[in-house]
Amino acid sequence: MIASEYKEKSAGGAVMLQVRAVSKVFETNSQKAPSNHVVLNGVSIDIKDGEFVTIVGPSGCGKSTLLNIIAGLDSPDSGSVFVKGERKTSTDPDRIVIFQEGALFPWLTVIENVEFGLKLTGVPKEKRMESASHFVHMMQLSRFSNSYTYQLSGGMKQRVAIARALAMNPDILLMDEPFAALDVQTRDMLHSHLLQIHEATKKTILFVTHNINEALLLGNRIIVLSPSLGNIKRDISIDLPRPRDIDSPELLLLKRQILKELEEDFQLARKENTTATKEKAAN
Amino acid sequence: MLEKKTQQQPKKKQQTKSRFDVTDAANTALFLAAFVGIWQLVFMLGIWPKTLMPSPAQVATTVANLVSNSLLTSGIGVTMIRLAAGFVISIGIGAVVGLAMVKFRGFGKTMSSFAVGLLTFPSIAWVPFAILLIGFNDLGILFVVIMASVFSVMITTYSSIRNIPPIYLRAANNMGAKGFALFRYVMIPAATPSLILGIRQAWSFAWHALIGAEMLITTVMYGVERYGLGHVLSVGRDYNDMSQIIATMIAIFTIGLIFDRVIFRKIEERVRSRWGLDQHSDNA
Repeated sequence: MIASEYKEKSAGGAVMLQVRAVSKVFETNSQKAPSNHVVLNGVSIDIKDGEFVTIVGPSGCGKSTLLNIIAGLDSPDSGSVFVKGERKTSTDPDRIVIFQEGALFPWLTVIENVEFGLKLTGVPKEKRMESASHFVHMMQLSRFSNSYTYQLSGGMKQRVAIARALAMNPDILLMDEPFAALDVQTRDMLHSHLLQIHEATKKTILFVTHNINEALLLGNRIIVLSPSLGNIKRDISIDLPRPRDIDSPELLLLKRQILKELEEDFQLARKENTTATKEKAAN
Repeated sequence: MLEKKTQQQPKKKQQTKSRFDVTDAANTALFLAAFVGIWQLVFMLGIWPKTLMPSPAQVATTVANLVSNSLLTSGIGVTMIRLAAGFVISIGIGAVVGLAMVKFRGFGKTMSSFAVGLLTFPSIAWVPFAILLIGFNDLGILFVVIMASVFSVMITTYSSIRNIPPIYLRAANNMGAKGFALFRYVMIPAATPSLILGIRQAWSFAWHALIGAEMLITTVMYGVERYGLGHVLSVGRDYNDMSQIIATMIAIFTIGLIFDRVIFRKIEERVRSRWGLDQHSDNA
């Protein structure tokens, strides 16, 4: 059924990624008060080939968990993930994650880090060096090809991580708050860099962030996750050309709407919490 | 601007390091001179008879004699072969068992408490056991050396692999590293800095045990006595030859120093600098 659905949709803009009714519950194993925290509650998303989707929500709304499930690094309690109509249950180089910490290997140089994945897939030495130096050049890191990662700044590390991911030629780039630990100027630079890459490679990108500005600046589409419901609160398409101005009236309006909805959600969650505590006290 | 700074860093560090080496050498020379001076002074005060407290010059002559009659040099040779054999076997067994401990959780948990207990067990206490079970031979000595160091290798292998930051494994897994590739290209290099520390410790345990075992287990093989340094030391005691004792002690000290400071430290420094671990401590 899913396969036919995929074919149907591929008529106009192929569907790259399908998330179907994904749920995840975290159990707190404290003996005093064992409780289940529903992080994701039947989340379904369709993402088309070449889309740049940002997923925004406050910490604890399950956005990283969702990304990990899509990557195959975490498994859902129920629901499934399809890439090009094919069901995925484990990690696969067709979906590469860029982590907040970069996760570069400190024992390898920049170029060795970038060619790491290619080495695993058995690409011959010369070919993978060629490909790795292409992406190192693309991320403007050629001068640092032979540096070790401790010699790089935070922004440069993330550029290496992006080069490493691109070298694998994945269908989907999964970015888990990749710029959260960087200073504002570096982040701005990397934003424009990432947009250029998206323009040039037309990769499907799923970008998780808690920063609403970042989500508004980058995405063709913004998905707002609700922490109280564990579900999608809003799914907004933005047709504005990029690079965008965060102070433009359209974006300001959108930002206000999103903030308001998150605020409502927050209050709802707080109310639920207080009733839960009251019930517990009554018991 | 930031980029420039990072590029210059390694150069600067090398400069300071080489300057430090010169001061280090001067300090060492000064310390040695002071040590020999005090020794000479104690000798001249005549608190002990000359046979019990020989002068630095006498000991130097003894060293020369022991080298020319090849007692010391062959002793060093025999001891080194035993050390190498025992250490290599320890690393082999320790690594295999350590990996099994990682692979099988329950075994790892039980074995690690057992191994930690044996880690603190005085290696010399294995000697009577080894003599009765194996006898007065090379294998007996080897057994004690292995028992002294194998648990250290085991624990190190186990803990360094378990303490690899999970983010490396997740990233590698995501790029398709599984099974042996994950082990070879990620787990081994990620664990290397702490593995080196553990192997250095295991070496030191093996070295202590070896000299002790050689003092207590005299080996006779094919009618030829094979003296190790520990044996040369206890022969010195048997003949009341303090000069020979001190000469052998100096040899043992020097070997330990060379291994620890020169070989292991060099490897450790190289690994640490490549892994970017010694940004703040250059004075280890």
